[in-house]
Amino acid sequence: MSSGTGFRRGWRGNRGVYFAVMLLLAIGLIVASRTGVLAPLENVLATPLNAAAGAFQQVALRLSLGLGDLADFQSLQQRNAELEEALARLQAEVVDLREINNDYGRLAQLLDYTTNAQNQEFVTADVIAVDQTSALRSIAINRGTRDGIAIGVPVVTPQGLVGRIIEVGANASRVLLITDLSSYVSTRLQTTRAEGTVNGQVSGNLLMTFIPLGEDVREGDIVLTSGLGGNFPPDLVIGQVTSTRQAELFQEAQVRSLINFDTLEIVLVMTNFQPIDLSVFEQEDGN
Amino acid sequence: MGHFLAFPILGLAAILQVTFMPQIRLFGGQPDLIMLLVMAWIITSPLEEAVTWAFVGGIAVDLLSAAPRGSSVLGLLILVFIIEQLKGQLVNLNIIVVFGLVLLGTLIQQITLLTILALNGFTIRPIEQFFYIVVPSLIYNLIFSLPAIGIVRRFKRVFSPRRRLSRRTINE
Repeated sequence: MSSGTGFRRGWRGNRGVYFAVMLLLAIGLIVASRTGVLAPLENVLATPLNAAAGAFQQVALRLSLGLGDLADFQSLQQRNAELEEALARLQAEVVDLREINNDYGRLAQLLDYTTNAQNQEFVTADVIAVDQTSALRSIAINRGTRDGIAIGVPVVTPQGLVGRIIEVGANASRVLLITDLSSYVSTRLQTTRAEGTVNGQVSGNLLMTFIPLGEDVREGDIVLTSGLGGNFPPDLVIGQVTSTRQAELFQEAQVRSLINFDTLEIVLVMTNFQPIDLSVFEQEDGN
Repeated sequence: MGHFLAFPILGLAAILQVTFMPQIRLFGGQPDLIMLLVMAWIITSPLEEAVTWAFVGGIAVDLLSAAPRGSSVLGLLILVFIIEQLKGQLVNLNIIVVFGLVLLGTLIQQITLLTILALNGFTIRPIEQFFYIVVPSLIYNLIFSLPAIGIVRRFKRVFSPRRRLSRRTINE
């Protein structure tokens, strides 16, 4: 008993030293983690946490969606009527597009032409954790190196681009969302082919910048990846233009993603896409 | 006992932090359960136990986030040592003191995290992030602070029945 008290008193006497040692330990942890020294240990520790988080995430989403539906019952009725009207209109369009698609298929076969989309390979993954509120907007998924996932590969849903893999473990990975401040995607408008860069905002919205001044940008235009820079394949849907603004040197457009990032449950990871590392050219220029 | 309690309590809190808490987000802010629990623990416990809580809680939440491992530990440690210094000067633990500590803790955690992210090459917009993330998080933390202290006290009563917790504990 007395030795324990003595030990405690000893620490209290050297509280400044104790604080400095603990701070150095924490800084050492950050450095070791960034250099990858702790990766095997992190994988071991993260595995049970990710598994538990996956189970909790399913419950949290069910609860959130259930409560949201209850609150939105009246607006949902109105929305349902609007959607039924839109469905009827779109069904007619689908018939026309099927005809065009058939024609395209025949012509492509003739030219022995295959699109990138036909060659894409996907792995489905469940979202097990959401980290959208701190300074980083990211999600964790339950697939890792064992499933062929590598750093840099794009993550999508049928509604469009979600982000790219920034961290990968044996059976879990982390995806940096396109809504993050650090995310930049080379894009183009579907109609005019005008190019720009989509960047995440603090609010979680998307902003398309560097659109040349002469280009016609309209609300409702679909924004796609351009493939420039080699980080993403071309023609993945980013979202829809909701408003535009003219700056001095270029135009900007607010873009709304078709994805609800708060309620993401399942995503597709494009496993056979290899991001191009342009830093090789930068090094050559430097030499 | 306090050292061992950190693992189940903070492990569960970290999981809730990345699953349930994003569903109640206000703008970009949400409650920081780990920070609140560590703060509640240091108020009523010895420094060594609180340091264990800072490490366990920080690592658990960092393992479930994209931030570099240890980022949250750093902020929590600074908070723990500041509260340890203040303990001797606190006469009693009233709501104003608790809210003051929550304000301090939220600012320390967010500023530390933003600094580490900036040093690691991530894009940071401090002023925008202050109003969009820090202020709403602070509001949530204020709301959740009293339940967090209540939970920690209950745990301490259950696992340390002989030790009577009173306001006097703060001055120990």
